[in-house]
Amino acid sequence: MSGDGGQGQISIASALEHATLTQSEIGFDYDPVAVMPETKVLKIGGQSIMDRGRTAVFPLLEEIVAAKERYPLLLCCGGGTRARHIYAVASDLELPTGLLAAMGGYVPRQNARMLQMLLAKHGGIFIIDDDFVKLPLYFQMKCIPITTGMPPFGYWEKPGEKGRIPANRTDAGVFLSAEFLGAPRAIFVKDEAGLYDDDPKKNPKAKHIPRISAADLLALDLPDLVLERVVIDYLRRARFCKELQIINGMEKGMLTRALAGEDVGTIIHA
Amino acid sequence: MRESLVNRDVVARTASESEYEILPHVNLIGLGGRSIFDRGASALMPLVDEIAALRDKHPMVIGVGGGTRVRHTISVALDLGLPTGGVAQLVGAMEECNAVFLNALLAKHGSIQMPRDHFWEMSLYIDNGMIPVVISIPPYHFWEPPPEKGPLPAHGSDFGLFMLAEVLGMKRVIFVKDQDGLFDRDPALHDDAKLIPRATLAELEKNMPRELILDELLFEAWKHARHVKRVQIVNGLVPGQLSRALAGEDVGTVLTKEKSA
Repeated sequence: MSGDGGQGQISIASALEHATLTQSEIGFDYDPVAVMPETKVLKIGGQSIMDRGRTAVFPLLEEIVAAKERYPLLLCCGGGTRARHIYAVASDLELPTGLLAAMGGYVPRQNARMLQMLLAKHGGIFIIDDDFVKLPLYFQMKCIPITTGMPPFGYWEKPGEKGRIPANRTDAGVFLSAEFLGAPRAIFVKDEAGLYDDDPKKNPKAKHIPRISAADLLALDLPDLVLERVVIDYLRRARFCKELQIINGMEKGMLTRALAGEDVGTIIHA
Repeated sequence: MRESLVNRDVVARTASESEYEILPHVNLIGLGGRSIFDRGASALMPLVDEIAALRDKHPMVIGVGGGTRVRHTISVALDLGLPTGGVAQLVGAMEECNAVFLNALLAKHGSIQMPRDHFWEMSLYIDNGMIPVVISIPPYHFWEPPPEKGPLPAHGSDFGLFMLAEVLGMKRVIFVKDQDGLFDRDPALHDDAKLIPRATLAELEKNMPRELILDELLFEAWKHARHVKRVQIVNGLVPGQLSRALAGEDVGTVLTKEKSA
């Protein structure tokens, strides 16, 4: 304690004691430590997987159970159709973006609870944000922690330029979880093998893109994207999670191959 | 309901000119950590008296900063190489202490420490003349997005308070600091720093001071915000400044979204 910071404060001497914390320079070396880089962070799509019910979910769970001995798996759930309904009603009521983001969190939590009930006998446990610090214990016990993909921004989600849909939803949350844990890749399990040059559901001739950089993807300026736009932007600034892999969870064996490190689906890289 | 939320047209369809105001009559006051709390009784006690006298006239929520303990926390955490999200997770605890300090001093005048997102209890407190006290940092925690530059979390306390006001449809935020307002450079470091008494958001963006007294992201968020019209910075070491700001006077620095607010 320096007692007096020079301007009448009871102050603690530190490298940032007098810095304006709005500056990007900290004035000393920063060498970040990866927290749990072995973790495989998986997103289970809401609309693409969960909403399809048993036909999509059960085969995936088999692959997850088979993989849990080999890898520490963190399952993060998307929202899907009910989340879209919440956004539609809340927008009609002209409620703010932050409120939509807070309400949008309910559905991924429901989905996480559903998966937990199905995976309970294989060590599936439902966890909340505060349980992240217990991940080492869960992995040690060979559990499968299951959580919401939604980041905790909630009411503090920034209003967007257009519309009320929160920019940071479950894709963002999954990327940010992987980035915090120091995992080099996040895997998004959807119902398409990643990125195409057009919507494959509408255009059967759409061409698959196996690998693309975040900058190139943004330069394409597509009207629709397979992941939330904000994630592509974050990816460019990532320190750890430099790759996003999007796979088709409806195709048997894809998740197992992705977990083994194979470049199936589409890889979007920093 | 099965359409893509990433599609630009779908997103645009959720836009409208107006937005519902949830608690538009409430004022948000931010008490600085380093600027007020770290100064101890000499700065805080007069403000406590001033706030106690104001509570019948102005419904308000008070957000508190963390100050020098936050800086020490971040310095140690970054030296240890903790990821940005890990740093963001740690900051709130230091603010909580200041919230308890303030609540201890104001309790007999009707203050109550409120978890920052317990919005739906606020009418109960406000209608009964109470003053909710909250921490300021937004709940981004481990999920703090990677910053544009450097390792410091970008979503800081000023941004957090601004967003609290905005989402609840409040009209103004008053930041109580230890300077007369916003200067073109840090007045603690430069004798020739000039006060900016009034500016619109657009004017400020054209000439953004390099050493800012508020988080940069506050201004970024304000661009697309619908409700907050006025962000004022007053000197809490000058008795009466907060009262005058709440009465609508242009003391300190008045920043407005539009020209005539």
